Amino acid sequence: MEKIQLKINGRLYSVKVNPNWTLLKVLRQILGLTGTKCGCATGDCGACKVLVNGEAVKSCTLLARKAQGKEIVTIEGLSRGGELHPVQRAFIETGAVQCGFCTPGMIIAAKALLDKNPNPSREEICEALQDNLCRCTGYVKIIEAVELAAAWLKGGTNGASGECATGGQVVGKGRPLRDAVDKVTGRTVYMADMRLPGMLYGRVLFSPVAHARIKRIDVSKAEALPGVRAVVTYKDSPRVPYNSALRFKGHDIPHDEYIFDDTVRYLGDRVAAVAADDPETAEKALRLIEVEYEELPAVFDPEEALKPEAPPVHEGGNLIKKLEAAAGDVERALDGADYVFTDRIKLPIVTHVALEPHASLAQFDAAAGKLTVWSANQNIFATRIILSEIFGLSVNKVRVIKPPVGGAFGGKLEAILEPVAALLSLKSGKPVLVEMKRRDIMVSTRTRHSAVYYLKTGVKKDGTIVGQDITAYFNTGAYASSALNVPSAMMDKAFRLYRIPNLRVTVYPVYTNCPVAGAMRGYGSPQLMAAREIHLDKVARKLGLDPVEFRRRNLVRPGDINPRFGTSLGNCRVLDCLEKGAERFGWEAKSRQPKGGRFRRGIGVAAGNHGNGTFGVHVDMTTVALKMNEDGTLTMFTGTQDLGQGSTTMMCMVVAQVLGLSPDQIEVVEADTELTPWDLGTYASRGVWVSGNAALKAAQSIRRQLIEVAASMLGVKEEDLELGGGFAYCRHSPDKKVSLQDIVVAAQLSKEGSREIRAYESFASVAGPNSYGVHFAEVEVDTETGEVKVLNYVAVHDVGRAINPLLVEGQIEGGIQMGLGYGLTEELILDKRSGKVINATLKGYKLFRAKDMPRVEVLLVEEGESPGPFGAKSIGEAATVPVAPAVVNAVADALGVEFDELPVTPQRILAKLRRTP
Amino acid sequence: MSLLDLKLKVNGKEYRVKVRPHKRLLDVLRDDLHLTGTKEGCGIGECGACTVIMDGRAVNSCLVLAASAEGKEIYTIEGLEQDGKLHPLQEAFMRHNALQCGFCTPGMIMSAKALLDKNPHPTREEIKEAISGNLCRCTGYRQIIEAIEEVSESASKGARE
Repeated sequence: MEKIQLKINGRLYSVKVNPNWTLLKVLRQILGLTGTKCGCATGDCGACKVLVNGEAVKSCTLLARKAQGKEIVTIEGLSRGGELHPVQRAFIETGAVQCGFCTPGMIIAAKALLDKNPNPSREEICEALQDNLCRCTGYVKIIEAVELAAAWLKGGTNGASGECATGGQVVGKGRPLRDAVDKVTGRTVYMADMRLPGMLYGRVLFSPVAHARIKRIDVSKAEALPGVRAVVTYKDSPRVPYNSALRFKGHDIPHDEYIFDDTVRYLGDRVAAVAADDPETAEKALRLIEVEYEELPAVFDPEEALKPEAPPVHEGGNLIKKLEAAAGDVERALDGADYVFTDRIKLPIVTHVALEPHASLAQFDAAAGKLTVWSANQNIFATRIILSEIFGLSVNKVRVIKPPVGGAFGGKLEAILEPVAALLSLKSGKPVLVEMKRRDIMVSTRTRHSAVYYLKTGVKKDGTIVGQDITAYFNTGAYASSALNVPSAMMDKAFRLYRIPNLRVTVYPVYTNCPVAGAMRGYGSPQLMAAREIHLDKVARKLGLDPVEFRRRNLVRPGDINPRFGTSLGNCRVLDCLEKGAERFGWEAKSRQPKGGRFRRGIGVAAGNHGNGTFGVHVDMTTVALKMNEDGTLTMFTGTQDLGQGSTTMMCMVVAQVLGLSPDQIEVVEADTELTPWDLGTYASRGVWVSGNAALKAAQSIRRQLIEVAASMLGVKEEDLELGGGFAYCRHSPDKKVSLQDIVVAAQLSKEGSREIRAYESFASVAGPNSYGVHFAEVEVDTETGEVKVLNYVAVHDVGRAINPLLVEGQIEGGIQMGLGYGLTEELILDKRSGKVINATLKGYKLFRAKDMPRVEVLLVEEGESPGPFGAKSIGEAATVPVAPAVVNAVADALGVEFDELPVTPQRILAKLRRTP
Repeated sequence: MSLLDLKLKVNGKEYRVKVRPHKRLLDVLRDDLHLTGTKEGCGIGECGACTVIMDGRAVNSCLVLAASAEGKEIYTIEGLEQDGKLHPLQEAFMRHNALQCGFCTPGMIMSAKALLDKNPHPTREEIKEAISGNLCRCTGYRQIIEAIEEVSESASKGARE
């Protein structure tokens, strides 16, 4: 240990450090300045940037002792005396904050830029943010924020604006996230920022082989290492199988996973875990665990895995269950078609890359027999069931709490680390925080199902689709997880986009020795739309039809009937999206552009749809509780998991609208199985549709009670009363009024029967329409390098009604970033022999960065969808569905070639060009 | 200020802690060893909530400097449970409703244990004397005294058998 002095945020700190400690470690672990985040620890994400002598530096790449004598400024040092820095304020105002995990690093990078260059161009801003990754925003609003901050700084203002406190129209007006100030100041306490007294650090050992039986495992050396408090393997693991994707008690899906098993089924499977006094000791102990593997044959391709000679990943074979959905008579329709076109399209394994690494903290209180787990998790109530079943605890002896989550996208929907952390806490008797490294997150959490699609489409000469037969092989990897749910959800969407009376979708979900596939934003829809929209573009081209015109002829219209169920598709406004977008994009003019030369431009269009909750599949319910307080403020209790997308902000807006309050007057108690009412989970784009409706229902109940009491206080009829501006007032004589606080107090102190103004309302979904989007992309392809530059992008979405347009735009822009990656750059590449993911780093796995993003324009179609709250429907997942095919279709258009495998990388483009004259 | 490197034996386990010289045993137990079962009710030796057993004697840990506890056998309320089984005093306190808010309980039980360890068959007066430094505001002491009496009786029964 060496004693050094560091000057941080103007204060001198004296600390003892090891020579190899990074500045990041010292800031977070020694000094408790946890505003600076760690997203990778390898210098690839920028979340840990701090200012060092005015330069934005990744603190995970700088040794603490090298930072001596320098002026260090962290996110905590930006706002002084409660006054936000203009950059922080601009991030809030523009909606540049979602999950908030990249935000401190982004703001530091932006500040470093503006300090040196007060007048940066858009290109200079992108350059400055080039090594800061964000997975929520698509960078669009972040770039806007930096531009706005620059303008404020030049104008000598700080952007502080006086906002009106109460009342008025709330729904339909953009407003920042309710916790945005905490996020821009680094005050948000994420999972890895939490500390409990006596807490240990847990680390997991993952399998280095794809398929093997564990012949011998010896943990004695690890256990003997000073500081190690518990080591667990399959010998300690309860022999209770579970499915990490369980959604509710009794959910009938394959239970094929154990915390640890004596067989490993993919390279990255869990083998053992250690809890120790500090992370370094835990990691050292992992290396002391001796494992002898008896290797078994492995299979990585879903079609190969179905062959009789393929090695079984689980007993009973690799086909989990053939799934089929159909309408009409597909064979007859195809026989009668003027033309039939077929395609085989292959889609890659991709992964979520939420900036916040997975982490769970478990504390088992042996005396009380009670397990408490804090976890970055999208489904606390299902995780509670899984833990109660594994450990044989009654449900009320398991408590799961979700702290703020730094992005999830489906990747934190399943119970992955929670059971491991719980087992370590059980064995050590101490609270244990288990964290994962970025490399392990990319391999050993969940991925998007890779798939192979076979498509066959029959059309008339005029382009009318008469029949379609789709068969897909879904690679679920080593465990079932969502192997049935994702394809089923995908199949449902197929019947809701085009008027195809004769349609069949068949899916084979298949076990392989690949990383486990699970939920990921879009839940099957991105796969279906990528394959089908690329296929249909080829069909249109072969018919000599313009892709927009082809879609115009076939897209569903409002009120159309779902041919599979005979039910209405609701107010499906996808055609409006197509027309509005084609006009704004300038589709016709652009389609006449000549093509030639080294840099070729092309345009592409794709449509897509995704659901609103799980109606018709299984239970879709949530409960919201509201309590009025003595000063007219409100407390909301919701089991909904806000992941940074802003679901609780949206719910506050709904409640505020009904009660004539400002959303700021509502405090939220969120996502704690012990304190908040039940929720099905944050998935299936059910936030607005179900939780929004539950909030609406509860608010309406509060409204009735307030008016009832107010009517008797004022001596007027209930129907003459309105709520607004913090008062109940008489519609005809607004001076006759009583404040909400007086109503609440009067109800409490009433001699006739004192009561609390409160509501506890469950809402169960009664319909399941889809949300729609049509996207347009213009690209420029360098025919010598294969590089694709996305130039312009227009996204139009049918959202029913945007409760918070700022957040809706944010969802769409982020969805575009993720979808562009799916189309062009992102793929977890497996070594074909070993099954090892060879690019499990943020350097090797190519995400779209600020500079790669096109100019994005978002348009909304707001024609209302009943019974959504205020006509609103979902956007989170739908946003990413049409992106990949739109951009791939644009590349195909630019080059006049056809693609049948994603992502369309420069290598694949060059390979196509070489084969095409 | 330089830190003292202390070796403390608490509940049969050796701990090494670095503490400032003036730190009280109570603080080291609660803050450094996270043994928060021992409570602080006054900080000046008047309430007994912080009672622990040091070398067989019940002491107010708020009046003991941590440095002076080195080399001594210290027991706290957390040390009473054996293999997940409660100590007879803990069982008896529950049976007799000798606890309400529970804040004086750890100190009360430690005082009782110190007594019974030395004097397995105390008189009611001796019990009262032993817990006279422990304040309780909930129970009125009767149920506490009866709980301790019961344990002493069963101990004497055990001795007779």
